[in-house]
Amino acid sequence: MASVTRRPTLLPSALRVFDLSLGQMLWSRRSLFLALLLGGPLLLAALVRFAAVADPAALPRINGQRIGGLTLFGMMMWLLYIRFIVPVLGVFYGTALIADEVDDRTITYLFARPIPRAAVLLGKYFAYLACTSLLVLPSLVLLYFLVAPIGERGIGAGVPALMADLATLVVGLAAYGALFAWVGARVKRPVVVGLVFAFGWEPGVLLFPGYLKQLTVAYYLQALVPHSMPSVSPVGSIMQMLQPAPPSVAASLAALGAITVLTLWLAARAVESREYVLEP
Amino acid sequence: MSPIHDQGYRRYPGERSPHGRAWAVIAAAGLRGFFRRREFLGLLLVSLFPFFVRVVQIYAAANLPQAAFLRPSPEMFRDFLRQQDIFVFFIAVYVGSGLIANDRRANALQLYLSKPLTRAEYVFGKLAILLAFLLLVTWVPATVLLLVQIVFAGNFTFVADHLYLLPAITLSSLVQALTVSVSMLALSSLSNSSRYVGILFAGLVFFSQALYGVLYAVTRDTSWSWMSFSANVSQIMALIFRMPSPYATPWPVSLGVMVGVIAAAVLVLERRVRGVEVVA
Amino acid sequence: MIIAADHLSKWYGQVIGLNDVTLAVPPGITGLLGPNGAGKSTLMKLITGQLRPSQGSITVFGEPIWRNPASYARIGFCPEQDAFYERMTGVEWVAALVGLNGVDEEAARAMAMRALDLVDLAGEARKKIGAYSKGMRQRVKLAQALAHDPELLILDEPLAGMDPVARRRTIRLIREWGRAGRTVLVSSHILHEIESMTSNVLLIHQGRILAEGNVHQIRDLIDEHPHTVYIRADETRALARAFLAEDGVLSLKFEDQALVVQTARPDAFYTRLTAMAASGELGTIHEVTSPDDNLQAVFQYLVK
Repeated sequence: MASVTRRPTLLPSALRVFDLSLGQMLWSRRSLFLALLLGGPLLLAALVRFAAVADPAALPRINGQRIGGLTLFGMMMWLLYIRFIVPVLGVFYGTALIADEVDDRTITYLFARPIPRAAVLLGKYFAYLACTSLLVLPSLVLLYFLVAPIGERGIGAGVPALMADLATLVVGLAAYGALFAWVGARVKRPVVVGLVFAFGWEPGVLLFPGYLKQLTVAYYLQALVPHSMPSVSPVGSIMQMLQPAPPSVAASLAALGAITVLTLWLAARAVESREYVLEP
Repeated sequence: MSPIHDQGYRRYPGERSPHGRAWAVIAAAGLRGFFRRREFLGLLLVSLFPFFVRVVQIYAAANLPQAAFLRPSPEMFRDFLRQQDIFVFFIAVYVGSGLIANDRRANALQLYLSKPLTRAEYVFGKLAILLAFLLLVTWVPATVLLLVQIVFAGNFTFVADHLYLLPAITLSSLVQALTVSVSMLALSSLSNSSRYVGILFAGLVFFSQALYGVLYAVTRDTSWSWMSFSANVSQIMALIFRMPSPYATPWPVSLGVMVGVIAAAVLVLERRVRGVEVVA
Repeated sequence: MIIAADHLSKWYGQVIGLNDVTLAVPPGITGLLGPNGAGKSTLMKLITGQLRPSQGSITVFGEPIWRNPASYARIGFCPEQDAFYERMTGVEWVAALVGLNGVDEEAARAMAMRALDLVDLAGEARKKIGAYSKGMRQRVKLAQALAHDPELLILDEPLAGMDPVARRRTIRLIREWGRAGRTVLVSSHILHEIESMTSNVLLIHQGRILAEGNVHQIRDLIDEHPHTVYIRADETRALARAFLAEDGVLSLKFEDQALVVQTARPDAFYTRLTAMAASGELGTIHEVTSPDDNLQAVFQYLVK
């Protein structure tokens, strides 16, 4: 049997781990959950579209003004994707990148290979990004084609905003995934911490003026969304009016990029130095 | 009698608890286990922060004429229980996600059910653990607030004027805790990964809220609130406290949805909590 | 030495896994023997860089192993846990792991098939691992350990779950690997299996090394425990009378057509016995064995 002569470095090793992990992620129960998650908005969109076709007079109105499909699409993008699906996917997959392998006790096989441990984390992170993007982006496009035509003359006008939305989702998935990969690498109960951050801390600090909102991912991510933010309560509307102007697109992209790179680096450091004691 | 004593196996000579009490053993062991965790005690302490704020409010209202506008009302108690919603969620995820999932992972269900313990006792024991903690952050502090009000006011006037308040607090807390506990337990029985269960529960709560948010943003009609897990609980709580409903959904619909969720959860538990899984 | 540990300790919170272990593993096959919870798996995980030493050091091929993934290319590890990517086929899984060693896809697949063939799994290589029996799962684990042709094999309970035929074949494979120049450290708590693979052992108990080296040498060195010799002969009583006069004979016991002697001086005793047998002066001696010149006896003596 020939001996191995080459020793892989970080990126090539990460790509090999990516190859191994992508199939695992795509065909797992998690993907079933993801499909259900993404099916909800599509079902809702289909119902709204059906209702609009069946009775055009019943088209939604706000303050007497009929709202078109593009506005509707923007609302769903905000309320479902930006505020829920993207953070939840980040928590769900990000915290489990290494933890799943540890729970399944298969991490030994990966850590016994001549590759840096950081390559394992990085490869799995890329696989998460690919898997979620492959599922989320088409669902958004489908949503667009279901909802955008309602009450509109054409849907072409919304295509640039749709492209921006798709890019925003990918950036959001990348940032949340990296952040929660770090949480998963450092903390014992990463899901609880992740949920506290995504559904406690972020909505909380974003409501109030001040600098604390800069310690969130949502603050920068929301600045990238080309649609106006809908409000779901009178209090919410008032709080929105009190908010200062959001950061620019360039500043937001830079901040999200920095968050992604920094938290991935921290996660890689944690994985390199941490011991994983497996349950018998 | 022989001078050499028998060193062999001896049967337990004491009294045995009658059948049907095994659930208490499971519950007691579970409660002890969680009370030993420092981070959980920290979470409980943080959950009681709104309680301390209310204590200060009641004290100020009773002792400072300028703060008379802060005097307690039945609404204050209802609002306190609603504010505890977020802590109910986090405690449910922390405590409840692994209750059955961890037993499934460790193949312990077979061990449990091979003892003189029925499936109902097992489920009830696990339910009691989560119920106890949820009532600890809802019913207990709300009831103590009532006592605090009596102590600071120096009379029973408030309680006498609102005799229904203690039963309302009790019933509301039970409704809130029971719905959350049974749902979480059912989700926990679906998987052997507590992380996955935590995310499923977050999906149930926040996704349903997000879907309702979209429909409200589109239609400006709160009668869609039956879709939201937490909105249904709020609706019933308003009814119990004799307050105006926050949503246009008729209360029987909200109650019906909650009963349906509990019934579905019981069905899931009945199917999933078994000593053996029949594959074919 | 291939593996060298110097005052190596490992603890998990309040629990000591390994306690001040100093050892050296030479080339060839070494059996790591100890009861459950002795520290075998902990030692193997330290050797393969899965765990960090709490104290002391461990080197493999002369280099520290913790956070040194370059060294892992020379090591093949077969862990104890029964854990796999169940949805992958045997060849897919082994090839994917070999690929992490930097081997291209085609070569990885060829190496995986060769390894699977070695462990008699070539016929089931395209079946999903989730459908494998316990013995097949154990063999595919072995395959992933040796597919990349490592110099050092660390095998943690490799025979667990195998049927007798597979066990015999695996033991033969391990012996072949030893003869081929690989270093193999194999752990077990089944004594006769270790004995059939090697006479070079490391005995571990409660986190400490009790003894290391050749099992017979270890036995000889245990002076305070007398040797037991079983003699089947025609004239057991006459033999007993002769042995009573010998220095070093501590006890005599009669069994059916046999005499069991305990002696503190085995060398002298065997010399005298050989002379008696040769002369025939005390009848025919049919059989002479030493029931405690084996691993079990050594282990029991050391643990007591």
